[in-house]
Amino acid sequence: MNFLLAVFSQTWRSIAETWRTQLLSLITITLSVLIFTFFYLVYSNALQVGNRLDNDLRLIVYLDEQPDANLQQEYQHKIEKFDQVERIEFVGKLEAYDRFKGQLDDSQDVLKDIPKDFLPPSIEIYPRRNLESLSRIKGFSEYLETMPGVLKVQYGREWVERFYSFIQLLRVVVFLSGSLLILTTTFMIGHSIRLTVFSRKKELELLRLVGASNSYIRVPFFLEGALLGALGSTAGIAALYLLFRWIKTNFAGQAAQGMFSFSFFSTSSVCMIIVLSILLCAGGSFVSIRKILSV
Amino acid sequence: MSGEEKKLTMIDLARVSKTFPPDVHALADVSLRIRRGEMIFLTGQSGAGKTTLLRMLCGIDCPDKGYIEIAGYDLSRISGGEMQKLRRRIGVAYQDFKLLPDKTVAQNIAYSMEVSYRSRPFIRSQTEKLLTELHLLDKQDALAGKLSRGEQQRVSIARAVANEPELILADEPTGNLDTETALLVTQLFRSYNEQGTTLLIATHDQAIYDFPGSKVIKIENGRLAIQKPPTLVKKAEGKE
Repeated sequence: MNFLLAVFSQTWRSIAETWRTQLLSLITITLSVLIFTFFYLVYSNALQVGNRLDNDLRLIVYLDEQPDANLQQEYQHKIEKFDQVERIEFVGKLEAYDRFKGQLDDSQDVLKDIPKDFLPPSIEIYPRRNLESLSRIKGFSEYLETMPGVLKVQYGREWVERFYSFIQLLRVVVFLSGSLLILTTTFMIGHSIRLTVFSRKKELELLRLVGASNSYIRVPFFLEGALLGALGSTAGIAALYLLFRWIKTNFAGQAAQGMFSFSFFSTSSVCMIIVLSILLCAGGSFVSIRKILSV
Repeated sequence: MSGEEKKLTMIDLARVSKTFPPDVHALADVSLRIRRGEMIFLTGQSGAGKTTLLRMLCGIDCPDKGYIEIAGYDLSRISGGEMQKLRRRIGVAYQDFKLLPDKTVAQNIAYSMEVSYRSRPFIRSQTEKLLTELHLLDKQDALAGKLSRGEQQRVSIARAVANEPELILADEPTGNLDTETALLVTQLFRSYNEQGTTLLIATHDQAIYDFPGSKVIKIENGRLAIQKPPTLVKKAEGKE
């Protein structure tokens, strides 16, 4: 019998003997994963909304003079020095006039006696559509105002700040639920391992007396933890998926669908959550067994 | 001790002492050398120090003073990993059996072989062979906790020899057995000894060592007292 076969059979034997304790741990891990992934799903969908802000999220920097090519380059350099941006567009006086005229549609007559260079030139800055850029947008606008030749900086300040607060709140909730997941998982695994060790105390003592290696004693507990992590996280994500389908079918009407596209985790995210849960549970059991048995 | 002599030695004890609190001298200056392939009976009254000596030989207890070497390993300097490997080469039949009552007889015996990663067919055939020899084959699926003391003792002996160890330590292996079954156990031990296994058997049962050529060491109040025959190597205090 090779090492793997021996430890697999040990693991199976241990699970068969202590399945009641293991079941309790499994349910706790499933619920913890469900709570964490629920908030994480809401958070990631909110981020998607942030990513779809598109043209609404831009800073318009009005200038007093039309910048020449050198000045444009200097502005670009200064802007990029502060933050990475998606793109920068220089809008000249005439282009601004044309755009404005286009927006007026049938009322273009009002511009008849107005000179075509009456609008100031501007720089349109499209920040990267992520939360880091959003969080820095206020500071960015203040920085832009300090640049020479800048008359005014405009952006949807109120909306951005509200959205940012909402995302910050979600971040806290995700962080707390993630911490809850880690705490409950490690506590339950530690507790479950302690009970298993207690119920198998005589057997473990005998294994030492007959010369079992540390790995022979430790690895089955490690595998038990990993198995609990895999089953618990899979069950938690499956429960979340059912909840997601139910909410999408019953509550997400067409109007909401137009505003947001509520989507589930990608396969890679699901795999990552499962792998992290496995690592967390296996690591928890590994640490517990080292502590309890000193092997 | 020369290199050749060292190779031939299975157990080497030099001036080993052990005291339990408050002031019980379980062993005092015990020196002894047992060669590979020998079968030695350790006799003496209850409390003489036989069990303490065996427990130190299998690494459960440590001496307060002195030196113990088993199969070339100095037990005071042995690493954890080496101790585990050494224990796989030693079969021990404990006085309290150390059986798992909620496991079957076959499972109890299998432990000593599983930790050495023996194949399943080997474990199965070895278990059946030993249970047949010890007249316990019909009990192989019975829970160890449901067996009589005598049956439990035989299971403990089967587990001690199952992994074909180089050294067998047995503590009162016939203490709960009738004469006929004790003879079965003695025959089993002798058959292992004939194959080259070293045996150290602690016993009060004169019947199992009362045969021509048997090697007996008597221990009294923690000291080696009488040895039979005199050729048995004993290291006197301070000299080889």
